[in-house]
Amino acid sequence: MAALLRRARPGTMARGGAGSPAAILIMLAAALVFPLLEGANVAVMGIATEGLTYGLVTLALNLLMGYGGQVSIGHGGLLAVGAYTTAILATRFALPFIVVLALAGAVTGVAGLLLGLPAGRLRSHYLAVATLGFGVAVPQIALNLGSLTGGFTGLIVPAEQLGSITLGNPVPLYYLALCILVASVLAVRSILSSPTGRRFMAVRDSEDTAPAMGINVGRTKVILFTTSAFFCGLAGYVFALNNAIVEPGSFSFSLSLFFFAAVIVGGMGSVGGSLLGAVLLVIVQHQAVSLGGYSEAILGVAVAVVLLAVPGGLAAVPRRLRGLVAGARLRHPATAGAASLREEPPGPPSPTGAPREG
Amino acid sequence: MTVFVQLVVSALGFGGIYALAALGLTIIFKTSNVVNFAYGAMATVVAMLVWTAQTGLGLPAALAWVLAIIGGGALGAASEIGFMRRVQESAPLVSIVMTLGMLLIVEGLTGVIWGYGPKAIPGIITGPSIAIGPVSVDRGGLLIVGLTAAIGLGLYFFYERTRPGLAVRAVAEDAEVASLMGISRRWVLTLSWAAGVAVTGAAATLAAPSVGLTPTLMDNIAVFAFAAAVLGGLGSLIGAVVGGFAVGILADLIAGYASANLQLTLVFALIVVVLYLRPQGLFGRAAQVRQ
Repeated sequence: MAALLRRARPGTMARGGAGSPAAILIMLAAALVFPLLEGANVAVMGIATEGLTYGLVTLALNLLMGYGGQVSIGHGGLLAVGAYTTAILATRFALPFIVVLALAGAVTGVAGLLLGLPAGRLRSHYLAVATLGFGVAVPQIALNLGSLTGGFTGLIVPAEQLGSITLGNPVPLYYLALCILVASVLAVRSILSSPTGRRFMAVRDSEDTAPAMGINVGRTKVILFTTSAFFCGLAGYVFALNNAIVEPGSFSFSLSLFFFAAVIVGGMGSVGGSLLGAVLLVIVQHQAVSLGGYSEAILGVAVAVVLLAVPGGLAAVPRRLRGLVAGARLRHPATAGAASLREEPPGPPSPTGAPREG
Repeated sequence: MTVFVQLVVSALGFGGIYALAALGLTIIFKTSNVVNFAYGAMATVVAMLVWTAQTGLGLPAALAWVLAIIGGGALGAASEIGFMRRVQESAPLVSIVMTLGMLLIVEGLTGVIWGYGPKAIPGIITGPSIAIGPVSVDRGGLLIVGLTAAIGLGLYFFYERTRPGLAVRAVAEDAEVASLMGISRRWVLTLSWAAGVAVTGAAATLAAPSVGLTPTLMDNIAVFAFAAAVLGGLGSLIGAVVGGFAVGILADLIAGYASANLQLTLVFALIVVVLYLRPQGLFGRAAQVRQ
């Protein structure tokens, strides 16, 4: 899907938006004080931790899509691998939590590596199908490995202890999830500014010129999928503890769609946007849950509205507002919001979204 | 051997359904280069409309079918005019996400309107299976194969032998040049979406008696048919039909010899292997994959 992403030029959209240090500090402060307000409410804390978990998966997916130019509609499967690894380890061995967490990340990273191998060769919709297949296969495999995974009923995750703290309790788990998320955000940022991160973006920008700069495209994609999967594995650890049960039914195709939507709503190529998008969609989903089928429809409408009204996602909103203000000052409304997907310079349209020749 | 033949023959019904659904996907992809992820949910609406017309309004089956297919066409046209047209000039990824958004909207509203309980929808042809030697052939399956062949050939004739079909192919080839030739790209896209949803809707209605009519009727079928279209090479009519039957037979053989629970997993594993060896699918054009 690199070709499909190329015209979107993410990464350039986020600056000064939800990805700016100020915005991230505000979000962090809000996240830190949140349990002081709602800590007693178990249901709300569960949803808040889910927001952090899904935020981490969305960040991992955005690393893949927004910075690496690849596509995945199977990240729910990676979350499942992390969650199952956690549940299997926690039910069988008495390992310290940090070991379980690291193994959840590592095992999921290996799964991502396996997924990345064909991805190195596939593009566009064909890559989408491979990842889709992975996403639907993981719960099915879990269903068939009953002796390991508990089959249809799944595994009940025992509460883990860290000293005198029970990690399964809502507030400690929330803070643990927040720590993992913050550490992951810092890790993703340092990856992005490293040579590896620049290789990701070079592959995203052109799979043809990247090899000319000495970049091994296939290997870069495998590293990208492995890295993205590792963070999903960490999220899977929190998911397992937060849900207390890991069962195949939790990892439906719509979960993968949820992460995909969160990336778009938040803004491709924006770290802060990923978190914002995921948290917003979690809130929308839970607010609408009593509405039955409407909740699904509302999520769909949210996606459509963002695409039509703010094509750059939430991350582009501050920029667009600034653009509008500046545009009004200059009495040149046409220049407003130049940072949107829609106002890319109109190249010659090509039916496949990529030049045919070469 | 008899078991093998029987498994292949029983797979023809679902193979035809996958082929039809994949054809619907292909019709839209050919002109718009968008994989309509909402196609399963939209097709389910057609099956629901058949149920409403037949059971709710008491109309005869043939009339119910015609009305529902027209309804499906209207839904396809409306989604193109209301949503897809507005993101046409954006990055192609945006169009795909828009179809994902429509999937959520349509599936959600289907549940709200028709409820989640399974509904009975009568099969069109019922009656005992026909025995050919030791192999028994399901009458419904035969009808599905016949209908798939008819629609597939009809589409082939339309695209390759008629002037409107030529116009559609011109838009698919180069929309800008086609519009210089006086072909309305808007109409071609709108009608392609209408036709695509209508054809997939027929697949959904044929599947409903055996799968059970619920808002999630097409969930599995849509995934299999999506795999079929990609296996055959996106945008190829022949690829969609061959891919559909191949996936149907594969899935049936896996269910027969391994486990029904592993159908999706193994089908996808095989498809990933095929794509690894031939990244553009069986009948796809290599140029569309290379950059």
